[in-house]
Amino acid sequence: MKSETRIKCLVAVAALLMSMLSAFAIDQMQSDKLAAPESFSSIGDTTARSAAIFTELGKVLTHARCVNCHPAGDRPRQGDQRRLHQPPVTRGADGHGLETLRCPICHQKANFEPGRMPGHPEWHLAPREMAWEGKTVAEICVQIKDRERNGGRSPEDLVHHIGEDTLVGWAWEPGFGRQPAPGTQKQARALVEAWVKTGAACPN
Amino acid sequence: MTTLNITINGRAYGPVDVRDALTLNDFLREYLGLTGTKFGCGAAQCLSCGVIVDSPDGTSYVSPTCVVSAASFDGKAIRTVEGHAKNGELSTLQKAFIEHFSFQCGYCTAGFLNESQVLLERLEKKRVARGDLEKTITEALDGHLCRCTGYIKYHEAVRDVILAEPGRYLLAKAD
Repeated sequence: MKSETRIKCLVAVAALLMSMLSAFAIDQMQSDKLAAPESFSSIGDTTARSAAIFTELGKVLTHARCVNCHPAGDRPRQGDQRRLHQPPVTRGADGHGLETLRCPICHQKANFEPGRMPGHPEWHLAPREMAWEGKTVAEICVQIKDRERNGGRSPEDLVHHIGEDTLVGWAWEPGFGRQPAPGTQKQARALVEAWVKTGAACPN
Repeated sequence: MTTLNITINGRAYGPVDVRDALTLNDFLREYLGLTGTKFGCGAAQCLSCGVIVDSPDGTSYVSPTCVVSAASFDGKAIRTVEGHAKNGELSTLQKAFIEHFSFQCGYCTAGFLNESQVLLERLEKKRVARGDLEKTITEALDGHLCRCTGYIKYHEAVRDVILAEPGRYLLAKAD
């Protein structure tokens, strides 16, 4: 092959790779963001707007950072692939692990990056009745309004829990190798607040 | 940097300045030469790096050392595999592991030994019925990975130690 042709081929391959990477990056940026409540103001019907706002919030609630510790069974999941937790821990009597292997033994007060170990002082599983794994956003919406299945929280409590709880906040600072939840905790709080103010309607 | 004071196998170490990023595993192996504690998966999944942590309330548990900082153990007391034999004599558990040929390569042995020791101490405080013993051993050793002997030989060794002194570890039938 002539050197001129070879260079043309290389340039073409490089351009193709760049376009693929750009498309991937744009796609990632889209899924990493949260729309502001105001962006739903064009929806005139309040109930429909409320449901749309919750659907946006659903990007957070169905994210691996949240669902991994809101599992359907007794065993948490881990990683962006949501694989079953290794070692094979289960929730135990109080959601803080087995008697022989408690969550804080590994998960200490903060992320420990040399060991790739996530951490928070209150690391534990959500109660069994608050399982989100495998559920649709609509199902989670109904569940999250049900005091029997949301930890006895009022709508205002939900704003505080999602918007200010530091364990929830870990989802946006999960450490190396874990994709953060979309947006920011502040943006998630704004969405919950707007959802509650608009009647806390659920999507179909 | 954190100034670390730690008790290991009854002996006080420190004060020593350690990097906050230093794992307890590296501290034991590289700073103190206590290489009986292994580095396996590096992700707290095999527990071959497990050591016993003695809590102030008298309870103990096994902690991996590969994913936790040495600094987080400041003021704590731990036991490693080097602390089991006394005056050159192996512990009852260690002897049982050998008698049962519980290990081949031995890489996981320190973790199993420490976990089994914690189990024995727990049973001394809270005995279980003979009928619950197998499940109790299985649950205690669950999480430790072994690629050589298939777990059952560790299980049998621990069971034999317990059954050799039933009054110490098991509830009497009338209890």
